Amino acid sequence: MHIPDGFLTISVIIPTFIITILFWAISVKKIKLTEKQVPIMGLLTALFFAAMMMNYPIIGGTTAHLLGGASLGLILGPFAGCISVTIILVLQAFLFGDGGLTALGANTLNMGIIGIFIPCIIFLAINKAFKIKSTTALYTTIFISALFSDVTAAVSAGIELGLSQPVFQYGLSVAVPTMAINHSIFGVAEGMVTIVLIATLLKLRPDVLEKSPILGKLWIFQNKKETTE
Amino acid sequence: MTSKNQKTIIIGLTIALIFVVVGVFCFSYAMETLDVKAEELGAEEKPVYEPPFPDYTIVGMENEWGALLIGIAGTLLLFVAGLGVAKLLKKKKS
Repeated sequence: MHIPDGFLTISVIIPTFIITILFWAISVKKIKLTEKQVPIMGLLTALFFAAMMMNYPIIGGTTAHLLGGASLGLILGPFAGCISVTIILVLQAFLFGDGGLTALGANTLNMGIIGIFIPCIIFLAINKAFKIKSTTALYTTIFISALFSDVTAAVSAGIELGLSQPVFQYGLSVAVPTMAINHSIFGVAEGMVTIVLIATLLKLRPDVLEKSPILGKLWIFQNKKETTE
Repeated sequence: MTSKNQKTIIIGLTIALIFVVVGVFCFSYAMETLDVKAEELGAEEKPVYEPPFPDYTIVGMENEWGALLIGIAGTLLLFVAGLGVAKLLKKKKS
């Protein structure tokens, strides 16, 4: 999903950088981390860097990698999640040439903004509408959020590439569905991994999730708050 | 740092390093969707910068072991960077 240098036109590079810089500024301003979340942010940043190194086979001889957007967003909150993915993308671009410097704005927009904020919005909307009160409903919601995180990030990348003609002569009609279909297949794996990670933290470190701006709104933690009050 | 946090970090970093080992030895060499489409179109990368470890390799050691070293060092570096930035942002807010 990392777009390299040379694939995007200047008319795509500039707006994606503007949107990204705006979100970086908002994230730095709005980020709220508790003492317990600080080491977890370091850990998840390292974990998803490692996970992104691993490309799994999907269809037609192609591969895809985990994005970690849903996990980072739901566990740390969208602002800390955005900063975490930015750290990964910046170091990947500067040290390993994974993702171009001119495409850093677009890559951050896809994986660090859309890939993070969309699952958070979906999760909060479902929780508000249906008041999640069982683990089955919780894991289903996590799965849907993670799936849409990957698909929307891929669609966004497809749009950027499709708009970057003449480099990508296929245009939007081919670039968007190709990216969306392949990454929706991988979104299923992303959903599973996100469920496993959050379920593990719920069991072993609920104290970390309790203060999460997203998962902290779950009935488990709200009931606990009411009881202590 | 509490012992609970230390335990979580040790377990988490171990899982991350397992990802690196499996990624390097089993999955790393297949192409991503984007690369396949770019190749079909003859679109070429035009790097504007020469990274020190291109494509997760050490120049002169372009094999799995080099990639493994890069993966381990990269994972630890990202942990330190993530932790450092988180601490900095937490300190700035308090």
